[in-house]
Amino acid sequence: MTLLGQKMPNVSSAAMAIAVPAGAAYDPDDASGAAYVTTEWAFRGAGERDTRALNDALDALGCQRHESVRSRHVLFSSVQLGRNLHDVLRIYADIVRRPGLDDTTFEPARALVLQDLMSLEDEPARKCNLLLYEKFYPFPLGRCIYGTVESLKSMTPTTIREHAAASFSPDGTILAVAGNFEWEQFRDVAAELFGDWSSGSPHPANTRPAQNGVTHVEKESAQTHIALAHPSVPPCDDHYYSARMAEAVLSCGMSGRLFTEVREKRGLAYHVSCCYHSLKDHAGFFTYAGTRPDLAQKTFDVTVLELRRLEEGIEDHELDRARTQLKSALVMQGESTAARSESMISDWYHLRRLRGLKEISEAIDGVSRTDVLEYLRDYPAKDFVVLTLGPQALDTSIISE
Amino acid sequence: MQLNNGLDIVAEVNPTAASMAAGFFVRTGSRDETSDVSGVSHFLEHMVFKGTHRRSALDVNRTFDELGANYNAFTNEENTVYFAAVLPEFQAPLVDLLCDIMRPALRKEDFDVEKGVILDEIALYKDQPKFRVYDGLMSAHFQGHPLGNRILGSTESIEALRQEGMQAYFDRRYSPDNITVAGVGNLDFDAFAAQIADLCSSWTPSRTGREHFESHPPRATSVITDRKVSREHIGIMSKAPSCQDDARYAAQILAAIVGDTTGSRLYYALVDPAIADEASMTYSPFDREGVFLTFISSDADRAVEATRIAASEFQTFAESGPTDTELEAAKNKIATGATAKGEQPMGRLTAVGFEWVYMKQYVPLSDDIERLLQVTAEEVVEVARRYDLSARTVLGLGPLESLS
Repeated sequence: MTLLGQKMPNVSSAAMAIAVPAGAAYDPDDASGAAYVTTEWAFRGAGERDTRALNDALDALGCQRHESVRSRHVLFSSVQLGRNLHDVLRIYADIVRRPGLDDTTFEPARALVLQDLMSLEDEPARKCNLLLYEKFYPFPLGRCIYGTVESLKSMTPTTIREHAAASFSPDGTILAVAGNFEWEQFRDVAAELFGDWSSGSPHPANTRPAQNGVTHVEKESAQTHIALAHPSVPPCDDHYYSARMAEAVLSCGMSGRLFTEVREKRGLAYHVSCCYHSLKDHAGFFTYAGTRPDLAQKTFDVTVLELRRLEEGIEDHELDRARTQLKSALVMQGESTAARSESMISDWYHLRRLRGLKEISEAIDGVSRTDVLEYLRDYPAKDFVVLTLGPQALDTSIISE
Repeated sequence: MQLNNGLDIVAEVNPTAASMAAGFFVRTGSRDETSDVSGVSHFLEHMVFKGTHRRSALDVNRTFDELGANYNAFTNEENTVYFAAVLPEFQAPLVDLLCDIMRPALRKEDFDVEKGVILDEIALYKDQPKFRVYDGLMSAHFQGHPLGNRILGSTESIEALRQEGMQAYFDRRYSPDNITVAGVGNLDFDAFAAQIADLCSSWTPSRTGREHFESHPPRATSVITDRKVSREHIGIMSKAPSCQDDARYAAQILAAIVGDTTGSRLYYALVDPAIADEASMTYSPFDREGVFLTFISSDADRAVEATRIAASEFQTFAESGPTDTELEAAKNKIATGATAKGEQPMGRLTAVGFEWVYMKQYVPLSDDIERLLQVTAEEVVEVARRYDLSARTVLGLGPLESLS
């Protein structure tokens, strides 16, 4: 288990994030959704406390908490006043190390995840993007965290308990805190709470190649949702900052190329964007546009052409702007204790070290136009994985031209 | 401070912040619209980014981005707000840009292109049941009251809207005496105020206002049957203290105890046993009006039960009030949220701006939290009784044909 900390002056809050290596990629193949069910179940009693006592204890400390299931990790995040940090950590040590996982609380935990899966039907944009992740990344790295109706229904408390015992493990767990706290004291409390945590044995996640291709999901929705992805480089790659600059030119702010061409000049879609997303060894540019069905074909074609046009050249003013945007965003995110704790986790997971503001800033300054164009030659806008959701399928032949 | 034309300037300076944020708070929204221009406030918000007499639309976007700004705008029932955060070195060009876009050119050709974007945004929300419930519930609860006006308007009202109608609305509502400029964070206040005075003093006031009359909610339950929607989405609305009412602190605590997303009455009654996957209550104060809004999402076959349980929780709460533990937890959660948000200039900006818009006062965050911590159980119960939680408007959206 790794402990990371960053003290920030002039703040009262302390944000804590614990990444446990129990993400959806490790779900047993016959029990997809296991990570999410485990997370939901873990808050239903832990240590000496039952469901109510556990949640009331966190609430009494004023925790603003959030859990998210990711590819390799389950992330437990909580923001509180610095003076409550140690007490909150004690409760989280129970949740992570001594979850009750009692038979009586299993059914509602599973039922809630099943309902969340059903709710996706009423959120077409989110569904579209989740399906795209699943198809783009080598399976099961992008697996849908909600599982399937069949997998959820066939789960038993025993399956999930065994899964939790194996995957909630100190080997690969990262605990990060940022804000108003004292490092030495926090380290000592963490050592007392986690020092004797013995390792489980996580299942290896064997991957198989991504499915790729074009998929259309038919739905009588008001908009046609268009999501497409093409490969990029992960954060450990030398081209990483070039990739982020390319992303910024395409889609940072409202003067990015996609917004300008698709929305501002043509009025085709309210929302169009391209976001970089990465796992440890895989990454992509994920582009999304939602538009009225009669404009969907044109939106798709214009979007693909804009993604491709980037390779043809980038103006100096576009690069300057991208640089300023990336550096400003970095400073402003750094004012949030929650954002800092999570970025420490991300740095450690991807790079095994923390990057300072200066290092990132210099790296951004060091990217030249040639660097970005070289990156784009190696990772051009092709080999698209496409997912559309709406009343009608689109003609996607443009991606193979 | 106030300019001669009525434009208010308020700021909270924090020299230790890494950034500064600024925003124009225009006191206008869907409640200030007549039916012939329904949706104009929100459409106008888009048009403000489409250029001025000295900047094209692309210039506006490009300049924001060249400053590395984190910027956006929103329109609700009562306000249209334009805001941005930048590193302190970009204060002057940011203020220049914000002041400039507040006098938009409203060019016909931009208006026509942007109309398509607005129509697409309306389609976007049609795919979001939760939004449709909010929209429908506000219309039903505020029947005959302008707070029931739809923020986006409708496809028909937007298609029918003309540039001239928008211009007239702009001339009336974007009057300096109807606008507050707020600044927060690491900013030079003297320079901030002087630059705004320089750029905005020539704006002519229209002496616009807002009509007030009391709402009379019908307390009705209705259902929109839509089998394309997978789950039943239910909204419950009842009266609550206004923005101007000192009981707003107790109302905020009441909503957290009854309906926060963790550890609340509704959480234990509905989400913990998995009767609903979502059950939460929020408190929305408006100008001399206010509502408690409860939102529930459940399987259709449990929706009636979920609605009944929520009603019984409201009643129990009004009868017996909060426990000491609940009261403390609610205060601590709200205080943590306000503190963490207040640590970022962008997070603090809307609180400072709206306090001025509604109350014409500046309240430091520490005083605000102090007042919250002083709220007693009796004050919370008093709100629950004065604003009868059982006198409610209910709307269901989903497969069901009836909620009874």
